[in-house]
Amino acid sequence: MKKTLRSVLIPLISIGIVGLIWQLVIVGFHVQPYVAPKPWDAVMAVIQNWGLLWPLVLGTIRETVYGFFFGAILGVVLGVVMSKLELIRRLVYPLLVLSQAVPIIALASPLVLILGFSVTPKIVIVAWIVFFPVTVNVVDGLTHVDQDLLNLARVYGASSWRTFTQIELPGISTPLFSGLKIGATYAVGGAIIAELVGSTGSSLAFYQEHASANLQTPAVYGTTLVMTVIGIGWFLLVAGVEMLLTPWQRRNVARRRRVARPAADQ
Amino acid sequence: MSSALLDVDAIAKTFAGTTVLAPTSLRVEEGSFVSIVGPSGCGKSTLFNIIAGLLVPDSGGDVRVSGSSVLGLSGHVGYMLQKDLLVPWRTVEDNITMVARLTRRVSDDDRREARDIATRYGLGEFLNHYPKALSGGMRQRVAFMRTLVAHQPLLLLDEPFGALDAQTRLEMQSWLLNVWRETGRTVLFITHDVDESIFLSDRILVMSPRPGRVVADLPNTLARPRELDVLTDPQFIELKSTIMHLLHSRESA
Ligand SMILES: Nc1ncnc2c1ncn2[C@@H]1O[C@H](COP(=O)(O)OP(=O)(O)OP(=O)(O)O)[C@@H](O)[C@H]1O
Ligand SMILES: [Mg+2]
Repeated sequence: MKKTLRSVLIPLISIGIVGLIWQLVIVGFHVQPYVAPKPWDAVMAVIQNWGLLWPLVLGTIRETVYGFFFGAILGVVLGVVMSKLELIRRLVYPLLVLSQAVPIIALASPLVLILGFSVTPKIVIVAWIVFFPVTVNVVDGLTHVDQDLLNLARVYGASSWRTFTQIELPGISTPLFSGLKIGATYAVGGAIIAELVGSTGSSLAFYQEHASANLQTPAVYGTTLVMTVIGIGWFLLVAGVEMLLTPWQRRNVARRRRVARPAADQ
Repeated sequence: MSSALLDVDAIAKTFAGTTVLAPTSLRVEEGSFVSIVGPSGCGKSTLFNIIAGLLVPDSGGDVRVSGSSVLGLSGHVGYMLQKDLLVPWRTVEDNITMVARLTRRVSDDDRREARDIATRYGLGEFLNHYPKALSGGMRQRVAFMRTLVAHQPLLLLDEPFGALDAQTRLEMQSWLLNVWRETGRTVLFITHDVDESIFLSDRILVMSPRPGRVVADLPNTLARPRELDVLTDPQFIELKSTIMHLLHSRESA
Protein backbone atom coordinates (compact mmCIF):
# COMPACT_ATOMS: atom_id res chain seq x y z
CA MET A 1 0.00 0.00 0.00
CA LYS A 2 2.87 2.34 0.81
CA LYS A 3 4.19 1.73 -2.68
CA THR A 4 0.86 2.64 -4.33
CA LEU A 5 0.68 5.79 -2.23
CA ARG A 6 4.17 6.77 -3.32
CA SER A 7 3.48 6.07 -6.97
CA VAL A 8 0.53 8.47 -6.81
CA LEU A 9 2.17 11.06 -4.59
CA ILE A 10 5.39 11.56 -6.52
CA PRO A 11 3.76 12.42 -9.89
CA LEU A 12 1.40 14.79 -8.03
CA ILE A 13 4.39 16.53 -6.50
CA SER A 14 6.07 16.98 -9.88
CA ILE A 15 2.86 18.42 -11.31
CA GLY A 16 2.69 20.72 -8.28
CA ILE A 17 6.22 21.91 -8.99
CA VAL A 18 5.31 22.79 -12.58
CA GLY A 19 2.32 24.76 -11.29
CA LEU A 20 4.55 26.55 -8.81
CA ILE A 21 7.09 27.54 -11.48
CA TRP A 22 4.25 28.77 -13.67
CA GLN A 23 2.95 30.90 -10.79
CA LEU A 24 6.42 32.27 -10.01
CA VAL A 25 7.08 33.20 -13.66
CA ILE A 26 3.76 35.08 -13.92
CA VAL A 27 4.36 36.97 -10.69
CA GLY A 28 8.13 37.41 -11.02
CA PHE A 29 8.14 38.76 -14.59
CA HIS A 30 4.88 40.71 -14.21
CA VAL A 31 3.26 38.84 -17.09
CA GLN A 32 0.07 40.59 -18.16
CA PRO A 33 -3.15 38.57 -17.54
CA TYR A 34 -4.12 38.74 -21.24
CA VAL A 35 -0.81 37.01 -22.15
CA ALA A 36 -0.94 34.23 -19.57
CA PRO A 37 -3.08 33.63 -16.49
CA LYS A 38 -2.01 32.34 -13.13
CA PRO A 39 -2.47 28.55 -13.01
CA TRP A 40 -5.37 28.75 -10.60
CA ASP A 41 -7.22 31.22 -12.85
CA ALA A 42 -6.88 28.77 -15.74
CA VAL A 43 -8.29 26.00 -13.57
CA MET A 44 -11.14 28.28 -12.46
CA ALA A 45 -11.97 29.08 -16.08
CA VAL A 46 -12.41 25.36 -16.66
CA ILE A 47 -14.57 24.85 -13.57
CA GLN A 48 -16.82 27.84 -14.32
CA ASN A 49 -17.42 26.75 -17.91
CA TRP A 50 -17.64 23.05 -17.15
CA GLY A 51 -21.25 22.75 -18.32
CA LEU A 52 -20.20 24.04 -21.71
CA LEU A 53 -16.94 22.12 -21.82
CA TRP A 54 -18.10 18.69 -20.74
CA PRO A 55 -19.88 17.67 -23.98
CA LEU A 56 -16.86 18.89 -25.95
CA VAL A 57 -14.54 16.88 -23.71
CA LEU A 58 -16.71 13.82 -24.27
CA GLY A 59 -16.47 14.39 -28.03
CA THR A 60 -12.68 14.54 -27.93
CA ILE A 61 -12.51 11.46 -25.73
CA ARG A 62 -14.76 9.60 -28.14
CA GLU A 63 -12.57 10.47 -31.14
CA THR A 64 -9.46 9.53 -29.20
CA VAL A 65 -10.79 6.21 -27.95
CA TYR A 66 -12.31 5.03 -31.25
CA GLY A 67 -9.27 6.17 -33.20
CA PHE A 68 -6.95 4.50 -30.72
CA PHE A 69 -8.76 1.18 -30.96
CA PHE A 70 -8.89 1.15 -34.75
CA GLY A 71 -5.26 2.24 -34.90
CA ALA A 72 -4.15 -0.35 -32.34
CA ILE A 73 -5.97 -3.22 -34.05
CA LEU A 74 -4.71 -2.17 -37.47
CA GLY A 75 -1.22 -1.79 -36.00
CA VAL A 76 -1.15 -5.26 -34.48
CA VAL A 77 -2.62 -6.99 -37.52
CA LEU A 78 -0.28 -5.19 -39.90
CA GLY A 79 2.69 -5.89 -37.64
CA VAL A 80 1.90 -9.60 -37.47
CA VAL A 81 1.33 -9.91 -41.22
CA MET A 82 4.50 -7.95 -41.98
CA SER A 83 6.63 -10.05 -39.68
CA LYS A 84 5.28 -13.31 -41.09
CA LEU A 85 5.40 -12.43 -44.79
CA GLU A 86 8.70 -11.09 -46.04
CA LEU A 87 7.21 -9.82 -49.31
CA ILE A 88 4.48 -7.86 -47.55
CA ARG A 89 7.05 -6.39 -45.19
CA ARG A 90 9.14 -5.10 -48.08
CA LEU A 91 6.12 -3.76 -49.88
CA VAL A 92 4.55 -2.05 -46.90
CA TYR A 93 7.52 -0.66 -44.97
CA PRO A 94 8.16 2.27 -47.35
CA LEU A 95 4.47 3.13 -47.32
CA LEU A 96 4.51 3.04 -43.55
CA VAL A 97 7.30 5.60 -43.38
CA LEU A 98 5.61 7.64 -46.08
CA SER A 99 2.37 7.71 -44.11
CA GLN A 100 4.11 9.27 -41.13
CA ALA A 101 6.10 11.74 -43.22
CA VAL A 102 2.87 13.45 -44.31
CA PRO A 103 2.21 16.31 -41.87
CA ILE A 104 -0.95 15.46 -39.98
CA ILE A 105 -2.41 18.91 -40.48
CA ALA A 106 -1.94 18.55 -44.24
CA LEU A 107 -3.73 15.24 -44.06
CA ALA A 108 -6.72 16.59 -42.20
CA SER A 109 -8.07 18.86 -44.93
CA PRO A 110 -8.22 16.26 -47.70
CA LEU A 111 -9.75 13.80 -45.27
CA VAL A 112 -12.48 16.26 -44.40
CA LEU A 113 -13.13 16.77 -48.11
CA ILE A 114 -13.44 13.02 -48.54
CA LEU A 115 -15.32 12.12 -45.38
CA GLY A 116 -17.17 15.34 -44.57
CA PHE A 117 -17.52 17.27 -41.31
CA SER A 118 -18.28 14.24 -39.21
CA VAL A 119 -16.51 12.33 -36.50
CA THR A 120 -15.07 9.90 -39.07
CA PRO A 121 -12.09 11.95 -40.34
CA LYS A 122 -11.07 12.59 -36.72
CA ILE A 123 -11.11 8.89 -35.91
CA VAL A 124 -9.14 8.18 -39.07
CA ILE A 125 -6.48 10.72 -38.13
CA VAL A 126 -6.11 9.37 -34.61
CA ALA A 127 -5.86 5.83 -35.96
CA TRP A 128 -3.32 7.07 -38.51
CA ILE A 129 -1.10 8.33 -35.70
CA VAL A 130 -1.60 5.38 -33.37
CA PHE A 131 -1.01 2.47 -35.73
CA PHE A 132 2.54 3.41 -36.65
CA PRO A 133 4.40 2.94 -33.34
CA VAL A 134 2.32 -0.19 -32.72
CA THR A 135 3.21 -1.76 -36.07
CA VAL A 136 6.89 -0.91 -35.80
CA ASN A 137 7.12 -2.36 -32.29
CA VAL A 138 5.17 -5.51 -33.16
CA VAL A 139 7.37 -6.20 -36.20
CA ASP A 140 10.48 -5.56 -34.15
CA GLY A 141 9.26 -7.72 -31.27
CA LEU A 142 8.20 -10.64 -33.44
CA THR A 143 11.47 -10.72 -35.36
CA HIS A 144 13.35 -10.91 -32.05
CA VAL A 145 11.41 -13.64 -30.26
CA ASP A 146 13.80 -16.07 -28.54
CA GLN A 147 14.72 -18.60 -31.22
CA ASP A 148 15.22 -21.33 -28.61
CA LEU A 149 11.67 -20.86 -27.32
CA LEU A 150 10.43 -21.27 -30.87
CA ASN A 151 12.55 -24.43 -31.13
CA LEU A 152 10.96 -25.72 -27.95
CA ALA A 153 7.56 -25.34 -29.59
CA ARG A 154 8.81 -27.13 -32.71
CA VAL A 155 10.27 -30.05 -30.74
CA TYR A 156 6.83 -30.84 -29.38
CA GLY A 157 5.10 -30.32 -32.71
CA ALA A 158 3.18 -27.16 -31.80
CA SER A 159 0.98 -25.67 -34.53
CA SER A 160 1.89 -22.20 -35.73
CA TRP A 161 -1.30 -20.84 -34.15
CA ARG A 162 -0.39 -22.23 -30.72
CA THR A 163 3.20 -21.10 -31.13
CA PHE A 164 1.83 -17.64 -31.82
CA THR A 165 -0.55 -17.49 -28.87
CA GLN A 166 1.67 -19.28 -26.35
CA ILE A 167 5.15 -18.02 -27.24
CA GLU A 168 5.17 -15.11 -29.66
CA LEU A 169 2.30 -12.95 -28.46
CA PRO A 170 3.18 -12.99 -24.74
CA GLY A 171 6.83 -12.66 -25.76
CA ILE A 172 6.23 -9.27 -27.39
CA SER A 173 4.11 -7.78 -24.60
CA THR A 174 6.76 -5.22 -23.67
CA PRO A 175 7.36 -3.74 -27.15
CA LEU A 176 3.64 -4.00 -27.94
CA PHE A 177 2.64 -1.96 -24.91
CA SER A 178 5.47 0.51 -25.56
CA GLY A 179 3.92 1.11 -28.97
CA LEU A 180 0.45 1.41 -27.50
CA LYS A 181 1.62 3.89 -24.86
CA ILE A 182 3.36 6.05 -27.47
CA GLY A 183 0.18 5.90 -29.53
CA ALA A 184 -1.94 6.79 -26.51
CA THR A 185 0.19 9.86 -25.83
CA TYR A 186 -0.13 11.17 -29.39
CA ALA A 187 -3.75 10.20 -29.91
CA VAL A 188 -5.27 13.28 -28.26
CA GLY A 189 -2.97 15.55 -30.26
CA GLY A 190 -4.27 13.97 -33.44
CA ALA A 191 -7.88 14.37 -32.34
CA ILE A 192 -7.36 18.09 -31.59
CA ILE A 193 -5.70 18.79 -34.95
CA ALA A 194 -8.57 17.02 -36.69
CA GLU A 195 -11.08 19.07 -34.71
CA LEU A 196 -9.30 22.26 -35.68
CA VAL A 197 -9.58 21.50 -39.38
CA GLY A 198 -12.77 19.58 -39.62
CA SER A 199 -15.19 20.95 -37.08
CA THR A 200 -18.24 23.13 -37.53
CA GLY A 201 -18.11 24.64 -34.07
CA SER A 202 -18.80 22.22 -31.27
CA SER A 203 -15.36 20.91 -30.38
CA LEU A 204 -12.68 21.49 -27.80
CA ALA A 205 -10.27 22.87 -30.39
CA PHE A 206 -12.88 25.27 -31.70
CA TYR A 207 -13.80 26.35 -28.18
CA GLN A 208 -10.16 27.30 -27.59
CA GLU A 209 -9.93 29.23 -30.86
CA HIS A 210 -13.07 31.10 -29.95
CA ALA A 211 -11.74 31.92 -26.47
CA SER A 212 -8.50 33.13 -28.03
CA ALA A 213 -10.27 35.36 -30.52
CA ASN A 214 -12.21 36.91 -27.63
CA LEU A 215 -9.10 37.39 -25.48
CA GLN A 216 -10.44 35.04 -22.79
CA THR A 217 -6.90 34.08 -21.81
CA PRO A 218 -7.72 31.91 -18.77
CA ALA A 219 -10.14 29.85 -20.88
CA VAL A 220 -7.47 29.37 -23.58
CA TYR A 221 -5.00 28.01 -21.05
CA GLY A 222 -7.69 26.10 -19.23
CA THR A 223 -8.62 24.27 -22.44
CA THR A 224 -4.96 23.34 -22.94
CA LEU A 225 -4.98 21.88 -19.44
CA VAL A 226 -8.11 19.88 -20.20
CA MET A 227 -6.60 18.46 -23.40
CA THR A 228 -3.46 17.50 -21.50
CA VAL A 229 -5.45 15.78 -18.80
CA ILE A 230 -7.32 13.73 -21.43
CA GLY A 231 -3.97 12.64 -22.89
CA ILE A 232 -2.52 11.73 -19.50
CA GLY A 233 -5.68 9.89 -18.52
CA TRP A 234 -5.65 7.81 -21.67
CA PHE A 235 -1.95 7.01 -21.24
CA LEU A 236 -2.55 5.93 -17.63
CA LEU A 237 -5.44 3.73 -18.67
CA VAL A 238 -3.30 1.93 -21.25
CA ALA A 239 -0.46 1.61 -18.73
CA GLY A 240 -2.98 0.21 -16.22
CA VAL A 241 -4.19 -2.39 -18.71
CA GLU A 242 -0.57 -3.37 -19.30
CA MET A 243 -0.07 -3.89 -15.57
CA LEU A 244 -3.20 -6.04 -15.39
CA LEU A 245 -2.25 -8.18 -18.36
CA THR A 246 1.44 -8.66 -17.55
CA PRO A 247 1.55 -9.52 -13.85
CA TRP A 248 4.85 -11.38 -14.27
CA GLN A 249 6.62 -8.06 -14.89
CA ARG A 250 5.96 -6.87 -11.35
CA ARG A 251 5.19 -9.89 -9.22
CA ASN A 252 7.25 -12.85 -8.07
CA VAL A 253 4.22 -14.94 -7.21
CA ALA A 254 0.99 -15.09 -9.17
CA ARG A 255 -2.23 -14.27 -7.39
CA ARG A 256 -3.94 -17.54 -6.60
CA ARG A 257 -5.95 -18.60 -9.58
CA ARG A 258 -9.67 -19.00 -9.05
CA VAL A 259 -10.31 -22.71 -9.42
CA ALA A 260 -13.42 -24.18 -10.99
CA ARG A 261 -14.30 -26.11 -7.84
CA PRO A 262 -13.48 -23.71 -5.01
CA ALA A 263 -14.96 -25.96 -2.32
CA ALA A 264 -12.62 -28.83 -3.13
CA ASP A 265 -9.63 -26.55 -3.25
CA GLN A 266 -9.93 -24.75 0.07
CA MET B 1 20.33 -55.55 -29.87
CA SER B 2 16.86 -55.26 -31.31
CA SER B 3 15.44 -53.56 -28.22
CA ALA B 4 17.24 -50.25 -28.89
CA LEU B 5 14.84 -47.39 -28.16
CA LEU B 6 16.98 -44.97 -30.16
CA ASP B 7 18.96 -45.99 -33.20
CA VAL B 8 21.07 -43.30 -34.86
CA ASP B 9 22.42 -44.63 -38.12
CA ALA B 10 25.23 -42.82 -39.96
CA ILE B 11 23.95 -39.31 -39.28
CA ALA B 12 26.13 -36.48 -40.63
CA LYS B 13 25.68 -32.73 -40.80
CA THR B 14 27.38 -30.09 -42.90
CA PHE B 15 26.79 -26.37 -42.40
CA ALA B 16 27.74 -24.28 -45.42
CA GLY B 17 30.55 -26.57 -46.49
CA THR B 18 31.87 -27.27 -42.98
CA THR B 19 31.29 -30.79 -41.74
CA VAL B 20 30.27 -30.48 -38.13
CA LEU B 21 29.21 -34.04 -37.57
CA ALA B 22 30.97 -36.94 -39.33
CA PRO B 23 28.72 -39.95 -40.00
CA THR B 24 27.76 -40.99 -36.48
CA SER B 25 25.95 -44.07 -35.28
CA LEU B 26 24.78 -44.94 -31.80
CA ARG B 27 22.13 -47.00 -30.07
CA VAL B 28 20.46 -46.42 -26.76
CA GLU B 29 18.76 -49.35 -25.02
CA GLU B 30 15.39 -48.82 -23.40
CA GLY B 31 15.64 -47.76 -19.77
CA SER B 32 19.34 -46.94 -19.90
CA PHE B 33 21.21 -43.76 -19.05
CA VAL B 34 23.81 -42.88 -21.68
CA SER B 35 26.12 -39.87 -21.55
CA ILE B 36 27.93 -38.12 -24.38
CA VAL B 37 31.15 -36.25 -23.63
CA GLY B 38 33.20 -34.39 -26.18
CA PRO B 39 35.03 -31.13 -26.78
CA SER B 40 33.10 -27.93 -27.32
CA GLY B 41 31.87 -27.52 -30.88
CA CYS B 42 32.11 -31.20 -31.80
CA GLY B 43 28.45 -31.32 -32.76
CA LYS B 44 26.75 -32.70 -29.65
CA SER B 45 23.89 -30.21 -29.66
CA THR B 46 23.67 -30.58 -33.43
CA LEU B 47 23.19 -34.32 -32.97
CA PHE B 48 20.41 -33.70 -30.44
CA ASN B 49 18.75 -31.18 -32.73
CA ILE B 50 18.71 -33.78 -35.49
CA ILE B 51 17.28 -36.49 -33.21
CA ALA B 52 14.58 -34.09 -31.98
CA GLY B 53 13.65 -33.06 -35.52
CA LEU B 54 14.84 -29.44 -35.35
CA LEU B 55 17.53 -30.01 -37.98
CA VAL B 56 17.59 -32.12 -41.11
CA PRO B 57 20.80 -34.15 -41.42
CA ASP B 58 22.79 -34.66 -44.62
CA SER B 59 21.21 -37.31 -46.78
CA GLY B 60 22.11 -40.93 -46.21
CA GLY B 61 21.53 -41.46 -42.50
CA ASP B 62 18.48 -42.32 -40.47
CA VAL B 63 17.17 -41.85 -36.94
CA ARG B 64 14.79 -44.47 -35.57
CA VAL B 65 12.84 -44.31 -32.33
CA SER B 66 11.24 -47.62 -31.28
CA GLY B 67 12.08 -48.96 -34.72
CA SER B 68 10.42 -46.32 -36.92
CA SER B 69 12.17 -43.52 -38.74
CA VAL B 70 11.57 -40.06 -37.27
CA LEU B 71 13.58 -37.98 -39.73
CA GLY B 72 11.86 -34.67 -40.35
CA LEU B 73 9.23 -35.39 -37.69
CA SER B 74 8.70 -33.81 -34.27
CA GLY B 75 6.99 -34.70 -31.04
CA HIS B 76 8.80 -38.00 -30.37
CA VAL B 77 11.29 -36.99 -27.65
CA GLY B 78 11.41 -34.96 -24.48
CA TYR B 79 14.16 -32.42 -25.12
CA MET B 80 15.75 -30.16 -22.55
CA LEU B 81 17.81 -27.61 -24.40
CA GLN B 82 21.08 -26.15 -23.19
CA LYS B 83 19.30 -23.19 -21.55
CA ASP B 84 16.43 -23.75 -19.11
CA LEU B 85 14.01 -21.89 -21.42
CA LEU B 86 11.17 -21.33 -19.00
CA VAL B 87 8.66 -18.80 -20.24
CA PRO B 88 8.81 -15.77 -17.94
CA TRP B 89 5.07 -15.09 -18.24
CA ARG B 90 4.00 -18.45 -16.83
CA THR B 91 4.10 -19.70 -13.26
CA VAL B 92 5.96 -22.88 -12.30
CA GLU B 93 2.77 -24.91 -12.64
CA ASP B 94 1.97 -23.41 -16.04
CA ASN B 95 5.53 -23.88 -17.24
CA ILE B 96 5.35 -27.56 -16.38
CA THR B 97 2.15 -27.90 -18.42
CA MET B 98 3.69 -25.90 -21.29
CA VAL B 99 4.04 -28.91 -23.58
CA ALA B 100 0.32 -29.65 -23.26
CA ARG B 101 -0.37 -25.95 -23.77
CA LEU B 102 1.61 -26.01 -27.00
CA THR B 103 -0.24 -28.96 -28.47
CA ARG B 104 -3.78 -29.01 -27.11
CA ARG B 105 -6.08 -27.69 -24.41
CA VAL B 106 -4.67 -28.03 -20.92
CA SER B 107 -6.91 -30.32 -18.90
CA ASP B 108 -7.46 -30.55 -15.16
CA ASP B 109 -5.51 -33.80 -15.30
CA ASP B 110 -2.51 -31.99 -16.80
CA ARG B 111 -2.64 -29.45 -14.01
CA ARG B 112 -3.02 -32.10 -11.35
CA GLU B 113 -0.08 -34.03 -12.74
CA ALA B 114 2.04 -30.87 -12.77
CA ARG B 115 1.14 -30.12 -9.16
CA ASP B 116 1.82 -33.70 -8.11
CA ILE B 117 5.19 -33.93 -9.77
CA ALA B 118 6.27 -30.51 -8.49
CA THR B 119 5.23 -31.48 -4.98
CA ARG B 120 6.90 -34.90 -5.14
CA TYR B 121 10.19 -33.43 -6.35
CA GLY B 122 10.41 -30.51 -3.97
CA LEU B 123 8.81 -27.54 -5.71
CA GLY B 124 5.33 -27.75 -4.19
CA GLU B 125 5.63 -24.40 -2.45
CA PHE B 126 6.61 -22.65 -5.66
CA LEU B 127 3.73 -23.63 -7.94
CA ASN B 128 2.50 -20.05 -8.26
CA HIS B 129 5.93 -18.45 -8.56
CA TYR B 130 7.17 -16.90 -11.76
CA PRO B 131 10.54 -18.24 -13.00
CA LYS B 132 12.41 -15.03 -12.19
CA ALA B 133 11.79 -15.72 -8.50
CA LEU B 134 13.54 -19.12 -8.66
CA SER B 135 17.18 -20.09 -8.19
CA GLY B 136 19.14 -21.63 -11.06
CA GLY B 137 18.76 -25.15 -9.68
CA MET B 138 15.03 -24.73 -9.24
CA ARG B 139 14.65 -23.45 -12.77
CA GLN B 140 16.49 -26.49 -14.10
CA ARG B 141 14.20 -28.75 -12.10
CA VAL B 142 11.12 -27.04 -13.50
CA ALA B 143 12.49 -27.37 -17.03
CA PHE B 144 13.16 -31.04 -16.37
CA MET B 145 9.65 -31.61 -15.02
CA ARG B 146 8.26 -29.97 -18.13
CA THR B 147 10.32 -32.44 -20.16
CA LEU B 148 9.05 -35.35 -18.05
CA VAL B 149 5.34 -34.57 -18.44
CA ALA B 150 5.72 -34.58 -22.21
CA HIS B 151 5.37 -38.35 -21.64
CA GLN B 152 8.05 -39.38 -24.10
CA PRO B 153 10.05 -42.50 -23.22
CA LEU B 154 13.26 -40.92 -24.55
CA LEU B 155 14.69 -37.81 -22.88
CA LEU B 156 17.47 -35.75 -24.46
CA LEU B 157 19.22 -33.60 -21.87
CA ASP B 158 21.76 -31.10 -23.21
CA GLU B 159 24.12 -30.02 -20.42
CA PRO B 160 21.24 -29.38 -18.03
CA PHE B 161 23.51 -28.61 -15.08
CA GLY B 162 26.27 -26.79 -16.96
CA ALA B 163 25.44 -23.39 -15.52
CA LEU B 164 25.08 -24.48 -11.88
CA ASP B 165 27.62 -24.19 -9.06
CA ALA B 166 29.38 -27.37 -7.92
CA GLN B 167 27.27 -27.89 -4.80
CA THR B 168 23.92 -27.44 -6.57
CA ARG B 169 25.14 -29.61 -9.42
CA LEU B 170 25.84 -32.53 -7.05
CA GLU B 171 22.37 -32.19 -5.55
CA MET B 172 20.81 -32.08 -8.98
CA GLN B 173 22.69 -35.19 -10.10
CA SER B 174 21.38 -37.23 -7.17
CA TRP B 175 17.95 -35.78 -7.77
CA LEU B 176 18.05 -36.71 -11.46
CA LEU B 177 19.15 -40.29 -10.71
CA ASN B 178 16.29 -40.55 -8.28
CA VAL B 179 13.73 -39.35 -10.80
CA TRP B 180 15.21 -41.54 -13.52
CA ARG B 181 14.91 -44.61 -11.30
CA GLU B 182 11.33 -43.79 -10.32
CA THR B 183 10.05 -42.93 -13.79
CA GLY B 184 11.88 -45.57 -15.82
CA ARG B 185 12.73 -43.25 -18.70
CA THR B 186 15.59 -43.58 -21.15
CA VAL B 187 18.09 -40.73 -20.96
CA LEU B 188 20.68 -39.45 -23.42
CA PHE B 189 22.73 -36.86 -21.59
CA ILE B 190 25.32 -34.36 -22.88
CA THR B 191 27.91 -33.05 -20.45
CA HIS B 192 31.39 -31.51 -20.31
CA ASP B 193 31.91 -32.88 -16.84
CA VAL B 194 33.56 -36.31 -16.92
CA ASP B 195 32.77 -37.00 -13.24
CA GLU B 196 29.14 -36.23 -13.92
CA SER B 197 29.02 -38.57 -16.91
CA ILE B 198 30.47 -41.46 -14.86
CA PHE B 199 28.34 -40.79 -11.80
CA LEU B 200 25.14 -40.85 -13.81
CA SER B 201 25.42 -43.27 -16.69
CA ASP B 202 25.42 -46.89 -17.76
CA ARG B 203 27.46 -46.03 -20.84
CA ILE B 204 29.64 -43.14 -21.89
CA LEU B 205 30.13 -42.15 -25.52
CA VAL B 206 33.25 -40.10 -26.18
CA MET B 207 33.22 -37.85 -29.24
CA SER B 208 36.14 -36.49 -31.26
CA PRO B 209 36.66 -32.79 -31.98
CA ARG B 210 34.89 -31.36 -35.02
CA PRO B 211 33.91 -33.06 -37.24
CA GLY B 212 32.49 -35.05 -34.35
CA ARG B 213 32.00 -38.79 -34.28
CA VAL B 214 31.85 -41.39 -31.52
CA VAL B 215 35.39 -42.62 -30.85
CA ALA B 216 34.69 -44.76 -27.80
CA ASP B 217 31.68 -46.46 -26.26
CA LEU B 218 32.56 -47.25 -22.65
CA PRO B 219 30.34 -49.36 -20.41
CA ASN B 220 30.17 -48.27 -16.77
CA THR B 221 29.46 -51.17 -14.44
CA LEU B 222 29.64 -49.26 -11.14
CA ALA B 223 26.89 -50.62 -8.92
CA ARG B 224 23.70 -48.62 -8.40
CA PRO B 225 22.38 -46.87 -6.43
CA ARG B 226 25.49 -44.72 -6.42
CA GLU B 227 26.40 -42.47 -3.55
CA LEU B 228 28.95 -39.69 -3.65
CA ASP B 229 31.68 -42.04 -2.40
CA VAL B 230 31.88 -43.72 -5.84
CA LEU B 231 33.94 -40.69 -6.82
CA THR B 232 36.89 -42.33 -5.06
CA ASP B 233 36.16 -45.87 -6.24
CA PRO B 234 39.15 -47.36 -8.19
CA GLN B 235 36.84 -48.38 -11.02
CA PHE B 236 35.61 -44.78 -11.22
CA ILE B 237 39.11 -43.42 -11.32
CA GLU B 238 40.18 -45.83 -14.00
CA LEU B 239 37.23 -44.98 -16.19
CA LYS B 240 37.88 -41.31 -15.66
CA SER B 241 41.48 -41.58 -16.73
CA THR B 242 40.46 -43.53 -19.85
CA ILE B 243 37.99 -40.80 -20.83
CA MET B 244 40.40 -37.99 -20.00
CA HIS B 245 43.04 -39.67 -22.10
CA LEU B 246 40.67 -40.03 -25.06
CA LEU B 247 39.55 -36.43 -24.83
CA HIS B 248 43.00 -35.07 -24.32
CA SER B 249 44.93 -37.00 -26.94
CA ARG B 250 42.26 -36.09 -29.46
CA GLU B 251 42.37 -32.44 -28.58
CA SER B 252 46.12 -32.15 -28.96
CA ALA B 253 46.16 -34.25 -32.13
N1 LIG C 1 22.82 -23.43 -37.60
C1 LIG C 1 24.17 -23.49 -37.72
N2 LIG C 1 24.77 -22.93 -38.79
C2 LIG C 1 26.11 -22.98 -38.94
N3 LIG C 1 26.94 -23.55 -38.05
C3 LIG C 1 26.40 -24.12 -36.96
C4 LIG C 1 24.99 -24.11 -36.74
N4 LIG C 1 24.73 -24.75 -35.56
C5 LIG C 1 25.93 -25.13 -35.09
N5 LIG C 1 26.94 -24.76 -35.92
C6 LIG C 1 28.36 -25.04 -35.73
O1 LIG C 1 28.49 -26.41 -35.56
C7 LIG C 1 29.48 -26.71 -34.59
C8 LIG C 1 28.93 -27.64 -33.56
O2 LIG C 1 27.95 -26.99 -32.81
P1 LIG C 1 27.22 -27.69 -31.59
O3 LIG C 1 26.36 -26.66 -30.95
O4 LIG C 1 26.57 -28.93 -32.05
O5 LIG C 1 28.46 -28.05 -30.66
P2 LIG C 1 28.45 -28.70 -29.21
O6 LIG C 1 29.23 -29.95 -29.30
O7 LIG C 1 27.09 -28.78 -28.67
O8 LIG C 1 29.30 -27.62 -28.39
P3 LIG C 1 29.13 -27.16 -26.87
O9 LIG C 1 29.69 -28.26 -26.07
O10 LIG C 1 29.96 -25.93 -26.80
O11 LIG C 1 27.68 -26.93 -26.61
C9 LIG C 1 29.96 -25.37 -34.03
O12 LIG C 1 31.19 -25.06 -34.61
C10 LIG C 1 28.90 -24.40 -34.47
O13 LIG C 1 29.48 -23.15 -34.73
MG1 LIG D 1 26.02 -27.77 -27.20
